[in-house]
Amino acid sequence: MKNLQMSVSPHITARPTTRSIMIEVVIALLPAVIASVVFYGFYALFITLLSVGAAVFGEALYNMMRKRKQTIGDFSAVVTGVLLGLNLPVTVPFYVPIIGGFFATMVVKMLFGGIGRNFANPALTARIFLLLAWAGFMTSFVSPINWANGEAFKYFECALKGADGVAVVTSATRLSDDSVIVPVLDAFLGRTGGSLGETSALALLIGGIFLAIRKIIDWKIPVVFIATTAFFTLVFGKFQNGAELPLLLFSGGLMLGSIFMATDYSTSPNTFWGVMIYAFGCGFLTALIRSFGGYPEGVSFAIVLMNILTPLLDKFILPKPFGKQKKEKVKEAK
Amino acid sequence: MRITFKRGVHPNANKSLSQDFPIKEFPCPDTLYFSMSQHIGAPAKPAVNVGDRVLRGQLIGEASGFVSANVFSSVSGTVKAIVNNPTAIGGSAVHVVVENDRKYEEVTLEPIDVNDKEAIKKRIFEAGIVGMGGATFPTHVKFAPKEKIDVLLINAAECEPYITCDYRLMLEKPAEIFKGVEYMMTALGVEEAYIGIEDNKPRALEIMANMETDKIKVVPLKAKYPQGAEKQLIYAILRRTVPMGALPSAVGVIVDNLHTAYSIYEAVALNKPLYERVMTVSGRGAAGGNYLVKTGVRYQDIFDYSDVGEEIRKVISGGPMMGFSQANLLPSVCKGTSSLLFLKEEELNESEISQCINCSRCAKACPMHLMPMMIERVVNREAADELEKLNVMNCIECGCCSYSCPAKRPLVASIKKAKIMFKAEAAKKAAKGGNK
Repeated sequence: MKNLQMSVSPHITARPTTRSIMIEVVIALLPAVIASVVFYGFYALFITLLSVGAAVFGEALYNMMRKRKQTIGDFSAVVTGVLLGLNLPVTVPFYVPIIGGFFATMVVKMLFGGIGRNFANPALTARIFLLLAWAGFMTSFVSPINWANGEAFKYFECALKGADGVAVVTSATRLSDDSVIVPVLDAFLGRTGGSLGETSALALLIGGIFLAIRKIIDWKIPVVFIATTAFFTLVFGKFQNGAELPLLLFSGGLMLGSIFMATDYSTSPNTFWGVMIYAFGCGFLTALIRSFGGYPEGVSFAIVLMNILTPLLDKFILPKPFGKQKKEKVKEAK
Repeated sequence: MRITFKRGVHPNANKSLSQDFPIKEFPCPDTLYFSMSQHIGAPAKPAVNVGDRVLRGQLIGEASGFVSANVFSSVSGTVKAIVNNPTAIGGSAVHVVVENDRKYEEVTLEPIDVNDKEAIKKRIFEAGIVGMGGATFPTHVKFAPKEKIDVLLINAAECEPYITCDYRLMLEKPAEIFKGVEYMMTALGVEEAYIGIEDNKPRALEIMANMETDKIKVVPLKAKYPQGAEKQLIYAILRRTVPMGALPSAVGVIVDNLHTAYSIYEAVALNKPLYERVMTVSGRGAAGGNYLVKTGVRYQDIFDYSDVGEEIRKVISGGPMMGFSQANLLPSVCKGTSSLLFLKEEELNESEISQCINCSRCAKACPMHLMPMMIERVVNREAADELEKLNVMNCIECGCCSYSCPAKRPLVASIKKAKIMFKAEAAKKAAKGGNK
């Protein structure tokens, strides 16, 4: 009773904290992590753990060097690490996730001021960085393992030399390689080639629905994003037949990108119309790059481009304050 | 579709801590401290001298100006001193200190004609009636609008967590409340009144709905904070939007708190000036209850009576969303004191302030549709010229933004600062314009 605490109202706050939100995002990513192990064996988990470790260590190191308060307890670096891991092919050598994780938190996130201030999604930017640095490693995709044949540890053979000598079967996006036809069900479940976490649409959807119900992500972003991608791919005439539509949606980074990356708080707009334009832009650019671009996958570039536009969208699109009347109306009244 | 406004938050209501305690007379202490600033506006002028004997219901502070209100003694006794004493909203005010002689000798106001519009208006001023929800705006000022008024809204939403005094009044004094509303309608010359009650109070809704008349309707509202904020209440019930910067009278509406209606009943029908009110004592750190408390009772007296535990962290005058934390227990109960809360740490759910993650939860919660995170950034950069675009003056300081912030940032504090910066900037601009 001696030390009564003083503060400005309100005196109570809601339960969620930055930390609890980030932990829920990690939980939402677990199905995708599990799926990556199911399809590619334990080396997939190893890659994700390396990437998480590097991302967390990168942030910790930056804080130590700058003598800032330690921030790794908020779990956002863990989210970045898991996302980056899920964005890598299973055949990358061990140093790729480590460098990527470091780059994501130290350069993309901490140099710009830390959580909430990064200009683009750290995991995605790191992915693009890795793609530019090791195009070969980053575009080699292999078939899922066969657990019955004792292949659980198969891809550890890539740890040092990458995909050399491993049969590369497919590229990320169905559209860019007409020679491979993947059954829709396989694409949905993830029984196909691709990055660790991109392949299983089912696992990503489970996580996405969880986050949407928990109101951690804005469901409008993935829905508008995916719908726009589908629409413009159709308009650009890249479908051979309607049956390919689900394949388009379930393959490549569209699910992972739209649910987990495009919805990043720091780099998505804060208003309804801002979100609409942003999600539309992501979808449009994805369709454009997928249909006409040189890279097999457009989702990363599309999201990062729209991330960079986000400050402008937030600057020019403000909500109408309650009770504010339109200027014309005020004039008429006069 | 449940009747409500857009956005807002859902804090844990915590009404069960006190809602089932019937209104009980709070034991009167020996010494009472009557603040001369129990309302918004100019403080009342002490109308008594040290040594004077006063009666219960006697004027001890006289309204000084139009936006001011009379203050009455709630006991009979002797004026011991006239001193400066801390108030619950921060700062201090002149207080008349009365030694209670426990005789409770009483004076009342002259009876009036309850059908006479002007007489009721005059009585509202005489009896020192102010808004009793916490804002304490003198009611006679509200009842002299420039615009034509066609609807009276009674705010019985009681959307602040913990507080149950209006709820108890509805259960125990519904007939008196309806009478009060009738007097208010007579004074305003309106034919239509609505009493808005949140639907998390089914018993109150049932009792009040049974008394409904052709002119006075009871409206169930969705339980959501800040349902009782007047602009939100007007939008919810009437779908009228009060323009930015304007008062409810701009759309033909007057909004008053339920307890105000009850006190107007007492002033008009019983000729009793406003010197006592029903208030809630709650929080997990104390024994809760609803009490008829005399103004002038100090918070220390309530503390002593309420079996307060050792581990309380905050004492709050008013609700947890908009109330004031207290540094000590020297302030006294005023006309607008709806509750005194003794909160433990577990109720505050505090954690360290961290960096804004730009999640826009504050914007999604803001009932005035503002962008609190942007206002905070502009305040931190001291860029006063950018505040106009962000419409800071539209903020009602309801606390939804700070409440919903996962980084626990004190957004309301920033916006309060922003308002000061905005006013200073506007004054600077006006001064420059004048020089030309």
